[in-house]
Amino acid sequence: MARLASIILYCLTQLNGERTIYSIFHLLNGKKSSQTIQDAHLFSLKNFFGVYEPLTRESFEDIIQMMQESEWIYNCGEQRFLPTPTGKSFLGNHPLPKYLNGWDHHSFTTQFWERLSFFIQVTSNLVFQESRYIPIQKNKHVHQWLKSVLREVRVPRKEMGTIVYSELVECFDEAHDIDPSLLVFRLTGFQQIGLTASQTAKRLQLDYHDYHIGFINILHYLIRNINEKANRFTVLAYLMQDLMQENELTFSSRKTQKLLNQGYSPEMIANHRHLKLSTIEDHFVEFALNVKDFSIDTFVDTELQTKILEISKHSATKKLKLIREKVPAATYFQIRLVLAKYGDR
Amino acid sequence: MELESILEKHFGYYSFKTGQKEVISSILAGNHTLAMLPTGTGKSLCYQLPGLILKGKILIISPLLSLMQDQVEQFKRFGEKRVIALNSFLSSEERNNVLTSLSSYKFIFISQEMLRIPFIMGRLQGLDISLFVVDEAHCISQWGYDFRPDYSKLGDIRQKLGDPLTLALTATATSRVREDIIASLRIEKINKIESTIDRPNIAMYVENLSDYHDKKDRVIELVTSLQKPGIIYFTSKKAAEQIASLLVDKGVCRAMPYHGGVDQNSRILIQQQFIYGQLDVICATSAFGMGVNKENIRFIIHYHMPMQMESYLQEIGRAGRDGLPSIAVLLHSPGDEQLPIHLAEGELPSEQQIDWLFNRLSDEQRSMDVGGQLPNQFKEFGGFSEVQWRIIEDFVYSPHRHSSRLEELQAAFKKFINERFIVKKKNIFQMKKWVEATSCRRELILRYFDEASSGKVPFCCDQCGLQLNDYQTGQLAPMPKANEELWKDYLAKILINRELSK
Ligand SMILES: Nc1ncnc2c1ncn2[C@@H]1O[C@H](COP(=O)(O)OP(=O)(O)OP(=O)(O)O)[C@@H](O)[C@H]1O
Ligand SMILES: [Mg+2]
Ligand SMILES: [Zn+2]
Repeated sequence: MARLASIILYCLTQLNGERTIYSIFHLLNGKKSSQTIQDAHLFSLKNFFGVYEPLTRESFEDIIQMMQESEWIYNCGEQRFLPTPTGKSFLGNHPLPKYLNGWDHHSFTTQFWERLSFFIQVTSNLVFQESRYIPIQKNKHVHQWLKSVLREVRVPRKEMGTIVYSELVECFDEAHDIDPSLLVFRLTGFQQIGLTASQTAKRLQLDYHDYHIGFINILHYLIRNINEKANRFTVLAYLMQDLMQENELTFSSRKTQKLLNQGYSPEMIANHRHLKLSTIEDHFVEFALNVKDFSIDTFVDTELQTKILEISKHSATKKLKLIREKVPAATYFQIRLVLAKYGDR
Repeated sequence: MELESILEKHFGYYSFKTGQKEVISSILAGNHTLAMLPTGTGKSLCYQLPGLILKGKILIISPLLSLMQDQVEQFKRFGEKRVIALNSFLSSEERNNVLTSLSSYKFIFISQEMLRIPFIMGRLQGLDISLFVVDEAHCISQWGYDFRPDYSKLGDIRQKLGDPLTLALTATATSRVREDIIASLRIEKINKIESTIDRPNIAMYVENLSDYHDKKDRVIELVTSLQKPGIIYFTSKKAAEQIASLLVDKGVCRAMPYHGGVDQNSRILIQQQFIYGQLDVICATSAFGMGVNKENIRFIIHYHMPMQMESYLQEIGRAGRDGLPSIAVLLHSPGDEQLPIHLAEGELPSEQQIDWLFNRLSDEQRSMDVGGQLPNQFKEFGGFSEVQWRIIEDFVYSPHRHSSRLEELQAAFKKFINERFIVKKKNIFQMKKWVEATSCRRELILRYFDEASSGKVPFCCDQCGLQLNDYQTGQLAPMPKANEELWKDYLAKILINRELSK
């Protein structure tokens, strides 16, 4: 599990013993809690947000244990670890998957794959003029999307296959550090059913975790490259339709945002929505992270902001408790807001 | 138009399979019909085809959600788009959309829990229903192996819909169950079309092993020598996983496990790989098989004993749909009945669970929601499985219990659970008796379903002197070499039609 291990080693390095290993688990899982979201920003780990959603707690704990037994990491507090020299050199020899961009892409990576695999199945059957087959994709939204694409796309049906083929090959060939087999053998076509994830891993003799990371890495590569060169990959560009503009805020925070814009205070919003104040505060932290023109000045005066930032930089810590000890005038909420807004610069 | 030409024109088949034409003619002549046709003989066609002739809607009640989805897809493959499935898979928004445009559909599949909702019943009452179909009708009877309390209310529902022309379909029902179906649907005069449940091209073979642990080696031997493709049925997921990897690692064949723990996407792929011959063997729990139509399955092996004769028949019925010789092997070792008994127990809520739940239920909670939804956190905290929870909901919300008080309900429910367990145990021992029998197995099955023997079958069963080597491959086919195809070639293969570009 070299790939997953190097990601974990990298995360541990970044966290520098300030968070437990479970913050990494939540990060890889893409947990939508403000703590995880904030950590991803604070410790510059956004690329790994949500890149391994199906990872279970048990497998994660097994991996940590294995890493500890191999002496790649050592214990530095309860549920906290740091890389050993061996671990560091392992990380040096096993570079991180280059294209992972969980923060920007995790919310639609699955949908992108569902579209791509279904699109290939339909195209292939078109090419072979077969109309009776079982769709491997059950998601209704993907079916609707495909229908609209087939209406819009301006390519003769007979040439579809060749065009999709050359666009895909061209797109893959532009990267030298990915193995497209991880994805291609999973595609289903005319009378040829794609492999499952575990079958592909086995065929390529990869550990299952590494397979998964490699697969997501390729998807993120495709998403980025197709998006950047949409004028060149004119057919593949349809895969991206309506995917990118999604708001990063969670549904609940959007409601809070509405009320905030109408001039309500955090307490009033909590009252109004029958939510705990701490929940509303979480939402505000999310705004500080994600909404560019959200000002925290009404909640923390600028002098205090500077102080908090200085302490955090000076003692090289993002631990709320440590900062609070040195700036007792600030509340936890205020510290979180400041770190969220300016912490990763 | 003649029925045969409709069959050819719309479905692309040249002749009817056993029983189909009789059932269709009976329906078209306006008779209520109970049809018992063997598994996989095309029962669906018995309402698909009349649907093209009858003026009004075809309403189909189906107990299994996953099956419903398959059937809708089957329709679409024949180019029939006016088909919809109304079940709890739909979001409330989708459901509302469907309900407002209900009259534009011709074939309406519905699950029994949807029929509980008065609003939906109201919509159905406004439709012109030409045919009321009850699929898997044995679920109506408490003597059926898959009793669904909700199904027993279909009689009421038929009345509310104005006594529409009715077709009840089942593959496996004893005569007692058949009587129950008719009584429960409250139909006085019904045309019974019962073709034999016997599948003469499937030979049966029970093999006794002195120790459960010998099964592993034996199953490898069998799979190595028997003609493939085949299915091995298991009762436990773990065993299915284990044997599948053994078969692959030993280079015996291309095998995959298939059970409830496999994610939805992989399940679809595995099923399709099997159908397209990319896999030789599926190691499955009973989750596999429903709606899988593969013609050339040559063997079914039972690693564990099924819970009842009916399931056994359904499962071996997946073999030999092309009519060619096929074999069903059941591996048996002493004490094998313990696993199904254990399972039967697990399917029902325990005494403690029932008490726990009723202590938390209040009368008002029960009457609050007529849609039939108990608070979901109870399910989680009480540790109820899907199956257990369904049984509880079905029972607590059944309309004729609505008036009863909580203590009465609790007592009645316990009694009901006890009875279910007794029925299940009885079924298991029936199965065991068959496994241990020393006379013709086919005869015994026919007798169980109250059918007269149809005369001797040449390749019958172990008791009639069947030899396994008749089903072995002439030469041992080597496992296909590890595939070394490159990704570009694979991509070209599926996307570029060389024929076309010539
Ligand atoms: N007249 C026919 N000729 C050839 N094939 C047919 C005919 N009628 C139905 N079939 C095919 O037989 C297969 C089985 O059909 P269907 O699923 O309706 O069977 P079933 O009796 O409902 O099976 P099960 O017991 O599994 O529910 C389908 O693939 C169907 O298309
Ligand atoms: Mg059927
Ligand atoms: Zn016999």
